[in-house]
Amino acid sequence: MDVFLQILVAGFLKGGLYALIGIGMTLIMGVMGIINLAHGQLMMVAMYVTFVLHSFFGVDPYLSLFVAMPALFLLGVVIQKYLLNPLIKAETILPENQVLMTVGIGMVLTEVIRFIFKSDYKSVTTSYTGATFFLGSISFSWALVVAFGIAVAFTVAMFFFLIKTDLGRSIRATAQDKDAAILMGVNTRRITVITFGLGTALVACAGTLLVPVYYVFPDLGGPFTAKAFIITILGGLGSTVGAIFGGVTLGLAESLGATYLGMEYEDIVGLTIFVLVLLFLPGGFKRLTKV
Amino acid sequence: MRIVRKGLIGIFVLVMASFLCGAASAAEPIKVGVVLPLTGSMAKFGEIERRSFEMALEEINAKGGVKGRKIELVFEDDTGKPDVGRSAVEKLISRDKVPVVTGGYSSAVVAAAAPVAHQLKVPFVICTGAADDVTEKGYEYVFRINPTASEYPEATKSFLKGVAKVKTAVILYENTQFGQSSSKAFEEDCKELGIQVLMKEGYSAGAIDFKPLLTNVKAKNPDLIYMVSYVLDASLLIRQAKELDINPKLFVGGAAGFTLPEFQMSAGPAAEYVFSATLWTPNLRDKDYPGAKKYFDNFRARYKSDTEYHGAEAYASMYVVADALKRTKSFTPKDVRDALAATNMKTAFGPVKFISYGKKTQQNKLPTYLVQWQDGKLETVWPKDVATKKALYPTPKWSARK
Amino acid sequence: MKKRLYPLILLAVLAGFPLVVEDNYYQHLMILFLMWVVIGSAWNMIAGYTGQVSFGDAAFFGSGAYAAGLLAHHLHVSAWWGMAIGGLAALAVGFPFGWICFRLRGAYFALATLALNEVLRHGTTIAESFTRGMLGIMIMPTFVSKVPYYYIALGMAVVSVLSVRLLIRSKPGYYFVSIREDQDAAESLGIDTHFYKMLSLAFAAFWTGMAGSLYMNYMGFIDPHVVFSLHDISIMAILVGIVGGVGTVYGPTVGAFIMVAVQEMFRSGFFGLFKFLAETTGSESVRALADVLTKGHVLGFGLLVVLVILVLPNGIVGDWDKIKKKVFRIHSPA
Repeated sequence: MDVFLQILVAGFLKGGLYALIGIGMTLIMGVMGIINLAHGQLMMVAMYVTFVLHSFFGVDPYLSLFVAMPALFLLGVVIQKYLLNPLIKAETILPENQVLMTVGIGMVLTEVIRFIFKSDYKSVTTSYTGATFFLGSISFSWALVVAFGIAVAFTVAMFFFLIKTDLGRSIRATAQDKDAAILMGVNTRRITVITFGLGTALVACAGTLLVPVYYVFPDLGGPFTAKAFIITILGGLGSTVGAIFGGVTLGLAESLGATYLGMEYEDIVGLTIFVLVLLFLPGGFKRLTKV
Repeated sequence: MRIVRKGLIGIFVLVMASFLCGAASAAEPIKVGVVLPLTGSMAKFGEIERRSFEMALEEINAKGGVKGRKIELVFEDDTGKPDVGRSAVEKLISRDKVPVVTGGYSSAVVAAAAPVAHQLKVPFVICTGAADDVTEKGYEYVFRINPTASEYPEATKSFLKGVAKVKTAVILYENTQFGQSSSKAFEEDCKELGIQVLMKEGYSAGAIDFKPLLTNVKAKNPDLIYMVSYVLDASLLIRQAKELDINPKLFVGGAAGFTLPEFQMSAGPAAEYVFSATLWTPNLRDKDYPGAKKYFDNFRARYKSDTEYHGAEAYASMYVVADALKRTKSFTPKDVRDALAATNMKTAFGPVKFISYGKKTQQNKLPTYLVQWQDGKLETVWPKDVATKKALYPTPKWSARK
Repeated sequence: MKKRLYPLILLAVLAGFPLVVEDNYYQHLMILFLMWVVIGSAWNMIAGYTGQVSFGDAAFFGSGAYAAGLLAHHLHVSAWWGMAIGGLAALAVGFPFGWICFRLRGAYFALATLALNEVLRHGTTIAESFTRGMLGIMIMPTFVSKVPYYYIALGMAVVSVLSVRLLIRSKPGYYFVSIREDQDAAESLGIDTHFYKMLSLAFAAFWTGMAGSLYMNYMGFIDPHVVFSLHDISIMAILVGIVGGVGTVYGPTVGAFIMVAVQEMFRSGFFGLFKFLAETTGSESVRALADVLTKGHVLGFGLLVVLVILVLPNGIVGDWDKIKKKVFRIHSPA
């Protein structure tokens, strides 16, 4: 029983971080209808920002959220404006050029970081890195609990932003029906740029929160990109609430799979759920919750 | 637009020129090919090895090189991928016409490149790639300086026999060539020692959360946890073992990540008491390891960063190759191979002699060591005759530590 | 008339290549190039003509390679027998693959193919007792000389390109394109879209699998990360298609040549050109530049990818008229 509870807690806390990664992706995929295969790489860049701030200026990782998020927002804006939007105009046989562009961007980001920091493993050790508290015999990692709290806060904020504000409504409108949004006078170009920025800022937040408990390495983007799209498909495109469900589901599924099937099956479990959802619940949890 | 056209033609001419320039090399220095992962995820170790090769090269050339000629190293980047590594070796052999190739970090690259060397009949002196079967195929032109993956836990084995007489063990390993083969070897060692293996499980490198794995380990409550992991997986494993309050009698790492300074930096105090197998430490005796300490200090002074056994392997390889080039009758690959086969020398990485035993051919056999993190320093603790500190055993419980 | 001669001239050049250039290194690069022609043409069939952009080509490549490798490993027969079953093994993987993925469209299809490839990669890694996991499979290549491999690869490349040509000029070919242009419209015209998508996928799987078993035979070593690689196989296949030109018969051939050449060019520092310049001029700044270039070769490659997609969204063959106009100032008769 202890094992089961401990795993549940571990999966749930990890799921909080996944949710944050997923929300960024779901916004981008929902609004632009493309897969962003550079999502994890953008997160990696944010992690390096945090790492630099910590090791050269002694800034606490949580404080560096205030730098990493705006910085990545700008990076996202630049990418969307100058690299992805021009492709919409181009007449091509396949619409997947934008997806490939994100692959290229991911490569470039990884290599630029590698060029500057080399393939060294870096880590940020803070006073709370290994800190835990126990409830009964169940161990909770402080850093992950805090990360979970921040993730939930951002998700709630994002949800109200999308529902209540004009900009949020425009983003949702663009996601639902681009042509209709244009007819309603929404500047969809501007919306895509802002959305991409927001999505990157959110994944930057996830990356920063991950830094104290994980490590920093140029190649770590790829696996997180994969997780991001699994979460997005689980939750349903463009749905923030769905992304939370998706994130937590993936976190729990991975942890349970790793415990009862074996750690090597961790990734397979996530991928299998992903394929099953694609087949039997296309549209993800959004179909069930309708939010 | 004319400019663009002219530019294109210019580039074409330059590329063509570059095709030819490889052939038009001066006859002066003797070229030695080195394949290493200089970019990509393994570049960190590739870089340590490249620097070590260059250090050894300068020392050799400063002493007059070989037969009055200087040695020149031709580095090729294998990016850690076997097909690229193969291209690189092909290029070294057929374009740069090197009489001998050395280097070889990743096991996969070595496995793909060794048959090339064998078929093109140019000797390949492997310094790091540890996959067992590379020297089990009877390749006449392939030599290996480092022990194979299955031999890494030798010192651990004798420590378990002599000091830490444990009953149960858990083996965790990363799902890579190195992880799979050395965990298998350790499982057999356990069988031999009468240690019951309660659990043997792999994971894919780069996991965020090892708690599922470790929670299972905790429930099994083993005496020994043996881990084959790279640097930061290693530190996450130890950190999370602490978080979950897992208390075996000893944690042992199977070389690779556990001996690096980054491990200690990232794991912090949790690194204390952790044992690791290793192939080399800087404080080995000069009798068998001449220049080990000097190499370590020089490297530090020169590059302001640490080196470890991978670097020593590279450093020693350069000396082995130079030694063979000094003794060879001529600089044809065939003669260099024969000279290499007759190698019998002592290097900073230990005595080197290519022998055949078991299924292996032209394989160097070396003892391995057990080290332990004590007060933030890596101390050699086994075998006794080279120990710098006494092994701290058993490991105190997490709650009993400061 | 002249246009029809180009492929024949190219074929003659390729056939004569190993007789003229005896350098192992260039022969090796050419074999890689020919292998990528096969993979690129296969991808082009399913993605370029049928419009189903697969991100999981490595699944077929890996199946073909492992079919050959496992055959040699377990039954101790020559891995060349694997060439016979490599394509079939990939077909066997392709059917469930298509069955699952073709329920989905667009981005969802791409993601599903990507996920299935990852499942195969992990599965192969875990099934250690059967596949040897990450220890990989190692065989002794049959020939020392590269020439036999070269001609086998050339044969495969020629047959695959010809079969693309034949297929797209037949009825199924027109159906493929109609599915790409508008699947619903094709369906309403009575085309069994599922069947034709499967047919297209089968073609792609077969050829990619064949290339995989050639890789096993030629390289002599495979492991799951190499042959089921997302970046090095699946995405490289897409890049070959995109750079050359999707939905064109010779696009993948051009793309394969450029990608293999460029990748090697960046890796070897423009074939040692900059190192050579640094040595002859003795200038420190050139040396530094050479250093930066060799260290950043993957970066250069990535930048090139970004640039090609920005400037030539239809690939070199697809945008040939544009290139002619802009660079060579040749106006093709409208």
